[in-house]
Amino acid sequence: MRLACDTGGTFTDLVVERAGEIRLFKASTVPADPVQGVLDVLGLAAVAFGLDRAAFLAEATTFIHGTTRAINAILTGNTARTAFLTTEGHPDVLVIREGGRIEPFNFMVPYPEPYVPKRLTFEVPERIDAAGRVVLPLDEAAMLAIIERLKELEVEAVGVCLLWSVVNGVHERRVGELLAAHLPGVAVTLSHVLNPTLREYRRASATVIDASLKPLMFAYLDGLTDRLREAGFRGRTLMVTSGGGIMDAEDVARSPIHSINSGPAMAPVAGRFYADRDFGSAMAIVADTGGTSYDVSLVRDGRIPWTRETWLGQRFRGHMTGFPSVDVKSIGAGGGSIAWVDSGGLLRVGPGSAGSTPGPVAYGKGGTEPTVTDCSLILGHIDADFFLGGAMPLDRAAAVAALDTKVASRLGLQVEEAAAAVLALATEKMVGAIDEITVNQGIDPSSAVLIGGGGAAGLNAVAVGRRLGCAGVLIPEAGAVLSAAGALMSELASDYARMLFTTSQTFAHDAVDAVLAELERRCEAFARGPGEGALETTIEFSAEARYPHQIWEIEVPLAGRRIDGPEALAALKSAFHDTHKTIFEISDPGSGVEFVTWRARVRCRLRAAGAGRVPPPAGGADLPASRRVYVAGTGWVEARIARFEAMRPDEPLPGPAIVESSFTTVVVDPGTTAVRTAGGGLRVTF
Amino acid sequence: MTAAATPTPHDGIRMALFSSRIESVARKMQNTLFRTARSGILNTAHDFSCCILTSDCRLLGAAESLPIHTLIGPDLMCEAVKRHHPTLHRGDCFLHNSPYEGNSHAADHCLIVPVMDEDDVLRFFVLAKAHQADCGNARPSTYLADVADVYEEGALIFSATKIQTDYQDNQDIIRMCRARIRVPDQWWGDYLAALGSVRIGERGLLELGREAGFDALNDYAEAWFDYSERKMVEAIRRLSSGRATARTKHDPFPGVPDGIPIKVEVEIDAEAGRITVDLRDNPDCQPSGLNLTEATAVSGAMVGIYNGIMDHTVPANAGSFRCLDIKVRENCCVGIPRHPHSCSVATTNLADRVTNPVQRAIAEIARGFGMAETGPIMPPGIAVISGRDPRHDGAPFVNQLHLAISGGAGTPASDGFLSIIHAGNAGLSRIDCVEVDELHHPIIVSTRRLVPDTEGAGEHRGALAIHGEFGPIEDCDLRVLYTMDGSINAAAGAAGGSSGSPSRALRRGRDGSLTELPACHGLTLAPGERVVSFSAAGGGYGSPLDRDPGLVLQDVAEGWISAERARAVYGVVIETKGNDMAIDNAATRALRQGCATGENGS
Repeated sequence: MRLACDTGGTFTDLVVERAGEIRLFKASTVPADPVQGVLDVLGLAAVAFGLDRAAFLAEATTFIHGTTRAINAILTGNTARTAFLTTEGHPDVLVIREGGRIEPFNFMVPYPEPYVPKRLTFEVPERIDAAGRVVLPLDEAAMLAIIERLKELEVEAVGVCLLWSVVNGVHERRVGELLAAHLPGVAVTLSHVLNPTLREYRRASATVIDASLKPLMFAYLDGLTDRLREAGFRGRTLMVTSGGGIMDAEDVARSPIHSINSGPAMAPVAGRFYADRDFGSAMAIVADTGGTSYDVSLVRDGRIPWTRETWLGQRFRGHMTGFPSVDVKSIGAGGGSIAWVDSGGLLRVGPGSAGSTPGPVAYGKGGTEPTVTDCSLILGHIDADFFLGGAMPLDRAAAVAALDTKVASRLGLQVEEAAAAVLALATEKMVGAIDEITVNQGIDPSSAVLIGGGGAAGLNAVAVGRRLGCAGVLIPEAGAVLSAAGALMSELASDYARMLFTTSQTFAHDAVDAVLAELERRCEAFARGPGEGALETTIEFSAEARYPHQIWEIEVPLAGRRIDGPEALAALKSAFHDTHKTIFEISDPGSGVEFVTWRARVRCRLRAAGAGRVPPPAGGADLPASRRVYVAGTGWVEARIARFEAMRPDEPLPGPAIVESSFTTVVVDPGTTAVRTAGGGLRVTF
Repeated sequence: MTAAATPTPHDGIRMALFSSRIESVARKMQNTLFRTARSGILNTAHDFSCCILTSDCRLLGAAESLPIHTLIGPDLMCEAVKRHHPTLHRGDCFLHNSPYEGNSHAADHCLIVPVMDEDDVLRFFVLAKAHQADCGNARPSTYLADVADVYEEGALIFSATKIQTDYQDNQDIIRMCRARIRVPDQWWGDYLAALGSVRIGERGLLELGREAGFDALNDYAEAWFDYSERKMVEAIRRLSSGRATARTKHDPFPGVPDGIPIKVEVEIDAEAGRITVDLRDNPDCQPSGLNLTEATAVSGAMVGIYNGIMDHTVPANAGSFRCLDIKVRENCCVGIPRHPHSCSVATTNLADRVTNPVQRAIAEIARGFGMAETGPIMPPGIAVISGRDPRHDGAPFVNQLHLAISGGAGTPASDGFLSIIHAGNAGLSRIDCVEVDELHHPIIVSTRRLVPDTEGAGEHRGALAIHGEFGPIEDCDLRVLYTMDGSINAAAGAAGGSSGSPSRALRRGRDGSLTELPACHGLTLAPGERVVSFSAAGGGYGSPLDRDPGLVLQDVAEGWISAERARAVYGVVIETKGNDMAIDNAATRALRQGCATGENGS
């Protein structure tokens, strides 16, 4: 039995995989003691399986955990008191950043504050140049004086990022040794170890963020593993990472930055599996719809594209980590997004959100602003009596009244027309987010399948997929818990990188060989250590390359483990030209290629591929055969209603229709057809 | 002109969908250009813009492009394309950089594609404007201020030159560029990047047209312009009516030994929702590369207005432009240039000298609006550098750095934005990483830091100056060209705020000695020598005595201002106890009261 547990702001979700079936449980998160929420949901599951908690936990081999603890600590400023050590002459790396701004005429938003204040920033006398030569030796006496000052300031963590440490780490390593010797017990992160990437701001930013999280994440994960053990768990505790993999909890405690964007990173892992199984499609756009955000990620040729431009908060306004993570584009559009009309008479959806508290007007929890969910209810897409399987009755009249006052009457429209317009605009925003990430990663939406995840995905996934001209839309059976399902499928993974600049004209065969050999050794060590006993281990090599004078590299997979001759080099060059053309519409085949960074990624599969099935519910509410829904441009029509779990494969359901389960509602628009797949998902084509 | 008619019920929805699609296409164009360009000025500094215009050459959307590149200019250039090529076809692409026909300076190469429907009817234009690392000038800089005319400047000038027919390059023009532009492979790569961008924009608009129908798109565009105009009228109505004349002066440069005095006359008619700026009473075109083009003169004034109204929800397009009247005249250094006067520096120096007084004048007419002045631009920290790279067998290189620049002005709502770069840029370009600059060029950057006590003081203070210092590595001579304004005439404050510190350039010899350098200069540095750059700080908005003492404390704790300056300029007394600092409230109150009544004389 395997467990995947995701602690969110409101709910702690648990997915139990047992004997080929998966079951979902939910408990309230306990903000003051999140581990309590975890134990609570485990207790609920134990009851459902007719066991006491200790007996239930004793059956579990694996506990995979995702948490927003690290990101919340950053957002609320509850991280450790952290100092930043930088090269002399460059104290303002975290202040000057890399520039860039959004909204040219918006002067209401101030310049962002640095992650570490200037008063906790210290310049270390030393300098290494771009070639890795020591220009100015490290002044150890000055370094010891800085350490004395760190003691006086009662610093709890230290991030060290010196210029060019990625080419020559000798000074950073020595600073690390001095800190360990003279400042024992204080958490330290060295930039070249954590994130060996060019560009000092993003490397420094990742370094100080990681250091600032160490004390609290160490304490949290220590407490979690202890209390799980006390409760009877004897298996392995793993954490999901921003890279879409899983790592042992103690490794995450050593570099907690891995956990900050872990939530959205799991959806594409599940998406990759479902797209392949249920659609036979290698290209997928994975859209995870939450209450306040819409997260889009991709699967291309079975690979999940990465980015190094990961922001905490808004682009240019938050902090960039520069840490490789799954490329996820998030926009503030979800079921809770508020619809309004601006002073010029323009309909708007968001960026304001009613979130889960007070939530949509129809929830009757004090919400007064009409939301996207309210509009779905008004149009008959959501059944007021069967929301979350009937667990939460909704107030349609209140939703109508709010939308009428705040939107419909201001636009001079019928309330249904207004609701349809709100959904159309929300759909358009989602399409815009998808457009942006697909152009960045070079995917043509018309060859891809759109996978809808999250409880609210089905309300407009078909509309989004149609607007993009996708090959089809797939709502997996476990779509409502796509991230947790992804956590169950994810592999133990680790990623290693080394910078070594060389060009196709003057290719440094020996040096590249040495770098690749070293990366391979590290991957193998990982496979022998954390990956021991895996069913299968794969190591993939890639190069980050560009045309001369370009600055943004693209990742190109290596066909083998070495570039062992002119043919292998020619193949790599040609793969680069092809990838560039795919992503950017242009290539320059006559040009040489520069290689900057070499990577190896080791993945250890711990279980057989695939996902369990959700068992059909015992009994369950009876659904009417049809109900009236509003279709834009047509008006009210009678739509067939089907129960998701009761649909049989290969019995097509033409739209207009509504497919409902306890977790989700799928709107099958007129002109489209839904069919249950053999794997249990819902496939919609048009 | 009266405000647009009230909207029909469906406009609010269709416009919202339409504008979202247009912005999305413009963003895709930008992403493509940024990711594929070869030169640092594009792929690191993001000094380019992408926009979409109607078939009658009105600006529809520009995503987040540089305001000085896009407000006015794309329209004039598309008109030039139509004028010179009465018949357009699908697959055409035009290269245009003529400062006399709508462009900014000649270094901004524009690619313009007419978007033709299935019946070869013109429906839209897409335009990508990208600042080149080199444009064939007489000397290796894209900004030559000390030139008498365009002949001495030496730039290749293209006027609506058809560089593609039926999607194929005209190799004659490619060869011309390769023969005259330094580091031709870099130019070629940047050309490909801009081409990818306009073709992606064309594809996006054709898809949109197929889906929605081009006639319907025209209707949406008109509704979108009307909406934008209504928003602008509403924004202007929040201001007070009045007139103000503001004056400023560009520093003396070769060719203009007394500097260039600039006068702007701003009139706000709040009731009517109109703002007029008159730039006509200014000097004729000068024997200098500082002259503006029609595009940058008008856009410069408009940037000051959009900054000053403090409402970023007004879309900046041809609809909201209807509320503005910018008066310029022919043969004026801040108007329409007369051939063969040079406009080599037309996007920055004098353009900011138009923007800055406009936003200051608005502050004078309508308190709580407008802005202080942004720091004048072009210290050596953003110089164009060139030479031969000893690490690559002496291969030539040329590029503009974006290394050490700041300059944000205090506003009615916020402190100066540190990385604003200059007024017309609005901070949309990027700042270079030290490691990227050192990897790509044979230079070493020894220092980059903010300079305390340089800000224009105010209730909202200006951004601090940045001190940057760099020189060549061993075996390399580094050529550095810059055109620095603001070493004499610093950024003025507004509404009682004070000026930011001036810019400054020095040379540090091998022995560490410092020598002051001229404002507009080119120098060659030998290994061990460095150029020292101080950017101009931003001006402050409002009286420093009204600044929240908590913010003053924060600035002192962070080392941005000294405790002495906090006391003398802001009237805030700060006590230090061990590692902690606190405000002495009683002393601060007394000091500020005294300052206000003039008793302390500070």
